[in-house]
Amino acid sequence: MTATELAAVLAALIVLASIASVELGVSVALLELGLGVVAGNLFHLDPNTPWLAFIASFASIVLTFLAGAEVDPDDFRERFGASLSIGVVSFVGPFLVAWAVTAVLLGWTLKASLIAGTALSTTSLAVVYAVLVETGLNSTRIGKLIMSACFVTDMCTAIALSAIFIKPNAWFPLYVVASIAIIVILPKISPRFFHRYGDRVIEPEIKLVFVAIFALMVVGELANGQAVLPAFVLGLVMSRHYQRHRQEQERLRVVAFAFLTPFFFLRGGINVSLPAVFANLGLLALLLAAKMIPKFGLVLPLARRHVPDHAAFTTLMMSTGLTFGTISSLYGLNAGIIDRTQFSLLVSVVVLSAIVPTAIAQRWFSPDVAGEAATDRGRLPERQPLPGSRPLPAGEQS
Amino acid sequence: MSPYDFKRVLVAIDDSAGSQKALDCALSVCSATGARLTALAVEGKLPAYAGSLGEVDEVKREKDRYFAGVLGAARFQAGERGITLATDLVPGHPAEAITHYAKAHGHDLIVVGHRGHLLGDYLLGSTADRVAHHAHCPVIVVR
Repeated sequence: MTATELAAVLAALIVLASIASVELGVSVALLELGLGVVAGNLFHLDPNTPWLAFIASFASIVLTFLAGAEVDPDDFRERFGASLSIGVVSFVGPFLVAWAVTAVLLGWTLKASLIAGTALSTTSLAVVYAVLVETGLNSTRIGKLIMSACFVTDMCTAIALSAIFIKPNAWFPLYVVASIAIIVILPKISPRFFHRYGDRVIEPEIKLVFVAIFALMVVGELANGQAVLPAFVLGLVMSRHYQRHRQEQERLRVVAFAFLTPFFFLRGGINVSLPAVFANLGLLALLLAAKMIPKFGLVLPLARRHVPDHAAFTTLMMSTGLTFGTISSLYGLNAGIIDRTQFSLLVSVVVLSAIVPTAIAQRWFSPDVAGEAATDRGRLPERQPLPGSRPLPAGEQS
Repeated sequence: MSPYDFKRVLVAIDDSAGSQKALDCALSVCSATGARLTALAVEGKLPAYAGSLGEVDEVKREKDRYFAGVLGAARFQAGERGITLATDLVPGHPAEAITHYAKAHGHDLIVVGHRGHLLGDYLLGSTADRVAHHAHCPVIVVR
């Protein structure tokens, strides 16, 4: 298959995923991943076609940047201690357990087990956000706490990915200095740049961000490292600018989700080997347990302390994963650290962790929004049935 | 006083034909009884397992805009019949949100439209079926 034919096939899959997303109400990212799995296994598409690998690699850094830019710094400060402790434990616990399970029990190499630890310790801010907005919890204190804690876990993931890949060489100081310079300078020049050049069809401000991201990738490559952490921090420091210029952020998302990220998720799916997954269902269960058990064992007690009424809901939300888990796994595969079977298992666990904890949390543990909102306002109301849960039949309500 | 002297009526609306009939019925009930009427629209599900916050925000905004139009049209229709219509928009699963809202806000009658059974409804029951089953108060299902 030529490069153009591959592009045409992938473009068709991207359109199909978008239509299915609208019709089914399921995230386009998950559908792109799923269609990538189907197409990759049926038609044996080549995920290592250079143009595809390049766009997917750039898309992963753009996704990381966007993840940082989507954080609300004020929400994060509001419950700093609780979100920091839950977020860090939510990363460290599964990271250590998944690392130990894959290294000791499964005999994976050190770096492969570190990739497994990283991929399986992530949370998905976007999956959590959808649940919180849908239930109206996003504006409550518990909602903000969970979002902030997810952000901390994301940050830990970015740090871990950078640390795993870095092999310091003579370029390492340049990588550090250039990253810091870009992170400091971009938010400072953005307002003036936006004022002079922004709000145009030719989108100079998006091009400026892309230049900054490419610069981070270049110095990252020179230093044998990855631009994940600098890109995440760059997104974070740009979040205030985007709060003031929502349309600019929207346009950046449009460019990213129309052209870049579909290739990232499709490529992730194409790399998944279904026969490898079905041949290793026991391992799949073990890896899922390596993610879920430490999340519950370590996050739940902390959540009980900080949000005693909704500890299970908080823990389930912190157990979700999708984008960062896929990014971590794909980085490991691209670098030759993990093989296709290991990648397939890790991505399958990541997808399962997006679906299973979310479904359980929504079905059985969704907090009482009216009660939470009223508690936030400083008064305790009469408790109402949970909006996200099935109301009791008439006559059975207490 | 009869338990059927309705004081607060809740009508669930979207832009379906069944919901239009439900609104007509609710307006007639309120005209006859003098009960206060609230129209509730439920936004339904956002993209499950989202890959980005932007994806969620976009769908939420789209739904907000769409249902603002639906509720505005309902207010206009009620106004033409001399009835003041309170409106509200909530997120969530339709049947759960409607029954929860009715109980939380002290409604004593719920009016819902029947859209006819779709394939999934034969397995899971329609929204109207579920509202009728779980509501704390009388429910009128309008065909």
